[in-house]
Amino acid sequence: MRQQYARRSQVLALAMGLIAAMVIVQMIRIQYSEEAAIFREQASNYAYELRTFYPDRGEIYDRSGHLLAGNKTVYEVGVNLGTVFDPNAIATAVSVELGLNYATVMQDIQNPPESLSYLVLADYVDADQAAYLMELKRTLQEQAPEGSLGGLTGLEFKSHPQRSYPEGSLGSNVLGFVNREGLGYFGIEEKYDTLLAGNQVKVLIPTDPNKAFEIFRVPDGTTLILTIQRDLQAAAEQILDEALYTYGAQGGTIIVMDPGNGEILAMAVTPRMDLNQFWNYGLIYTNASEFNRAISYPYEPGSVFKILTMAAALDSGTVTPDTTYLDTGSILVGGATIHNWDMEPWGLQDMTGCLQHSLNVCLAMVSTKMGASTFYGYMDNFGMGHLTGVDLAGEAAGRLKIPGDADWYPVDLGTNAFGQGVAVTPIQIMMAASSIANNGRTVTPHTLLAMVRDGRQYNVPAQFAGSPISEETANTMTGMLAYSLESESSLALVPGYRVAGKTGTAQIPVNGYYDSNQTNASFIGWGPVDDPQFMIFVWLERPSASIWGSETAAPVFSQMAQKSVVLLDIPPDSVRQQIAAR
Amino acid sequence: MMSRGISWRSFDFLLLGAIVLATSFGTAMIRSAVAGNEVLQPLISRQVYFALLGLVLIFAVAAIDYRYWLALYRPMYIVTMGLLISLSNLGQEAFGAQRWFQVGVLFLQPTEFAKIVAILVLARYFEKAQYDARDLRWILRGFLWAFGLIIWILLQPNLSNVIVLSVIFVAMLWINGLKMKQVFVLVISVLVLTAIAFPFLEPYQQARVINFVFPPPNATYGATYNVQQALIAIGSGGYFGTGYGHGTQTQLRFLKVRHTDFIFSAASEEFGMIGGILIILTLTFIVWRCIRAAQKARDLAGSMIAYGVGILIFFQGTVNIGVNLNVVPVSGLPLPFISYGGSGLTALMLGIGLVQSVVMRHKQIEF
Repeated sequence: MRQQYARRSQVLALAMGLIAAMVIVQMIRIQYSEEAAIFREQASNYAYELRTFYPDRGEIYDRSGHLLAGNKTVYEVGVNLGTVFDPNAIATAVSVELGLNYATVMQDIQNPPESLSYLVLADYVDADQAAYLMELKRTLQEQAPEGSLGGLTGLEFKSHPQRSYPEGSLGSNVLGFVNREGLGYFGIEEKYDTLLAGNQVKVLIPTDPNKAFEIFRVPDGTTLILTIQRDLQAAAEQILDEALYTYGAQGGTIIVMDPGNGEILAMAVTPRMDLNQFWNYGLIYTNASEFNRAISYPYEPGSVFKILTMAAALDSGTVTPDTTYLDTGSILVGGATIHNWDMEPWGLQDMTGCLQHSLNVCLAMVSTKMGASTFYGYMDNFGMGHLTGVDLAGEAAGRLKIPGDADWYPVDLGTNAFGQGVAVTPIQIMMAASSIANNGRTVTPHTLLAMVRDGRQYNVPAQFAGSPISEETANTMTGMLAYSLESESSLALVPGYRVAGKTGTAQIPVNGYYDSNQTNASFIGWGPVDDPQFMIFVWLERPSASIWGSETAAPVFSQMAQKSVVLLDIPPDSVRQQIAAR
Repeated sequence: MMSRGISWRSFDFLLLGAIVLATSFGTAMIRSAVAGNEVLQPLISRQVYFALLGLVLIFAVAAIDYRYWLALYRPMYIVTMGLLISLSNLGQEAFGAQRWFQVGVLFLQPTEFAKIVAILVLARYFEKAQYDARDLRWILRGFLWAFGLIIWILLQPNLSNVIVLSVIFVAMLWINGLKMKQVFVLVISVLVLTAIAFPFLEPYQQARVINFVFPPPNATYGATYNVQQALIAIGSGGYFGTGYGHGTQTQLRFLKVRHTDFIFSAASEEFGMIGGILIILTLTFIVWRCIRAAQKARDLAGSMIAYGVGILIFFQGTVNIGVNLNVVPVSGLPLPFISYGGSGLTALMLGIGLVQSVVMRHKQIEF
C-alpha cells in the first residue's frame, strides 16, 4: 500500500515538474519570440516623451504696479473611458458641480464616439470647482472597500493657464486679449505677443520618475509695465461714459498723454469689453477698427486741425500773430466758395481772433497764401497720413490727400486747412499737437513704460519723431491758444491752471453731403502752458444735446484736466511759480 | 504532553528559509509596485505584519501535533461552512463578487482558510477510508465532503477557487489509488459539466474565457489590456531586468493590479527572466519540500495534508504565472507568498505550519 502511494505521488511530482518546466520554457519563448522585440520597443517608447514646455505668459502692470493682466490656472475636466467605473456617479458629480447636462454626459460616457479613449467634458473650469471635484474623487476612493474603486474613477483633470484681467473691462482697448490658442489679439497683447508669450522649449523627458532628475523650467514671458495709470484710466472711462450720457453722443474717446515724452497715461474709448470673456468679442464689435477708436478709427477732425495749419503758417513766416485780414464771410478757393461756420462775416481779425472764433475763411486764406507745397509739406512733417508708431496693434494711418493724387482738387487746400477732407485718428492729432506743446518736437506716443525679464527691468526711452516747427512757433501757438480760450471764457478752462487748446466741430458727411446736425465734437488741449505735463484729447461722436465742440467736448476736457492734475499730482500754477521763484 | 514529543531537529528549516525568501521578495516587489500611489502605501506594512504573524503561526502550528487538528475536523468544517454561507449576506460587495468578511478593521477572506480546512477534512476522510474499495461510493463520499465547502464558494461566485479545491480533491483521489478507468470517466464528465455549466457562468467569467480563447484583434483597453501589458512587462525585462524600481510598465502604471495578480510580470520586468525563473525555482523548492514531508509522514492523514498543501501552492502558483504568460485565462489567483493579500498569506503559512508539524513527527515512532 505504502509503496503504491509513493509511486503515485512520484507521478504527481513528475507532472508538477513538467508543468514548471513548461512555464520556464514559455518564459524563455517570450524573450525570443518575434513579439519580444515589439514588446521591448513598446516599453522603450513609453520611457521617453517629447514634451513642449510653454512659459507662463508675462504679466501686464500699470505704471504704479497694479496688475492689469495676469494668469490663473483653469482645468479641463475629462473622462478616461478605459478606466471609468461608475458613469452614473461621474455624470451626477459634473452635472451638479459644473452645471452640465446629466443625460448628455451619461450618454457620452456610455456611448462614446468611436475609437475615443478620452472625452473632454468641460474646459476653463475654475480652480475651486476642480479642487472640489478632485477632493470628492479622493474621498470616494478612500471610502470604497479595499481593492475596489471609487465612484469617480476615470474622471481626470488637466490644468492649463488662462489669461485673467482683474480689472475686467478697464483699458480693454489698450490691453487686448488672448484667445484659446494663446495668441494675443489687439492692443498690448497682440503688439507684444512674442515678448509676453516667451519662448517655448521642446525637451525629451524620461517618463520614468527615477530617471527624471530635475524639474524642467522655462523662463516666463516678459512682464510689461505700461505708461497707463490705472486710476486715471478709470477716471477717463467714467468721465467719457458720463459725457456720452449727458450729451447724448454715440461714442467717444478721451486720451491723456504726457506731451513731454509721449507716454499715454489714459486712453478711454467706447465700447469696451470684459476681457475675461473674450469670446463675447463678436457680440460687442462688428469691425476690428471699433476695438480701439483712439488709434484705428480715422475721422474728419474739423477745427482742431486748424492749430496745425496755423502753426505751419507761423513757422513758414506766412503770417505773424498780428497779421490782420478782413473777413467777408466767404472765400473762393479752387472754384468753390468756403463759408464760416455761422455763414457770417467777422470783419477785421488778427490771427488770434481767427483761431479764437475758429474762422474757416481765415484758415483757407492762410493755407492758400502758404501754398500747397508748403502746407502739405508741414502736414507731412506733422505725421498726417502716416502711422504714429504707437505700440498698440491695429493702428490706422488715416488719409491725407496731396496734390498729384487722383482725388485731390485745388479746393482741398482750402478745406483741409480747417480739417475737412482729411481722415486722421485721435492719436495722430495728439502726436502732431505734441510738437506745439513740446517746444517744436513731436513725441512718439507709446504705452510701454518698461519690460521686466529674468529679474531685470528695461526702461523704454521716449522717442522724438521730428521737429516740424521751431520752438518759437510752438511757444507762440501755445500763447495764442491759451489767450483765445481765456478771452472767450471757454468751458475748457481749468481753474488754477493755464491751459491751451482748440475745439473742433466737424460735420459728418452723409451720402457725400455734410449733415449739419451730425457732428464730431473734439477738443485738444494741454497744460500747464509754461510746462505742459498733460495733453488731453476728447472726441464725442454725434452729440445730440449740442452739435458744438465748444459746448460738449470742451467741458469734458476741463473735467478730465481737473481730474488729471489731482491724480498726476500737478500743483496749480501759482504754487509752482512760488516754488520756482524761491 | 505536547512538549515531550517535539523534536525541532526534524523541523524543515530549508522550507522555512524558502518561505522567508519568497515573502521578503514579495514584500519588496509590492513596495515597488505601489510606489507613488499614496492610497496603496499602507499595503506594504500590512503585508509585513501578516508575514510576521504567519511566521509565528508556522512555529505555533508546527508545535502542535497535526492529529489534534484532524480530531477537530467537524467543528472546523461547520464553522468554515457557516462563514462561507454568511458571506452571501454579510460579505463586502466588491468587483461584483463577495469574497471579504470584515472582522474589526481586517477584511478576511474565509475562502482562503476554507482551502486549508478542506485539505484537513479530506485528509481525515482518505485516512479513514484507506482500506475501503476504490469504487464510486468511495469517490462520492469524498466528493460530498469537498462539495460541502465548494458549493458556497461557487455561489459567491469564485470559480478560480472552486477549481483550486477541485484540483486538490482530484489529486488526492489520484494518490489514493484512483483507477485509470475512473480517471477517464472523471475527465469526460468534467468536460461535459464545463460545457453544460458555461452558459450559467457570470458574464465576466464567460468573457474572460472567450477573450482567452479568441483574443479580440484590436482591443487595447479593457478585456485583454492587462494581459497585454503583462506581456510587454515580461518582454521588456529581458534577461536581467530593468532594475528594482525602474520598470517602466510597473512604475508608470501601465500594468494594472500589479501588486496582486500581475506581480510576477512586475518582478519579471524589474528583475528580468533570471528573476522570474528564481521565483519559479523558489516555489518549486517549497512544493518539493511539501512532497518530501508527505513521503516521510508517519501516517496517511499527515501525508495527505502535506500533499494537499503542496498541490495548493503548486496549482495557485502555476495558474498565476500562467495568466501572466498568457497561457491560462485571467483568474485572479494570487502568486503564493509573493502577491499582496493578508488572508491568502496567513492561510498558506498555516498550511506550511501543518506541513512542518507533519515532517517534525515522522520519526516519532522511532526512538
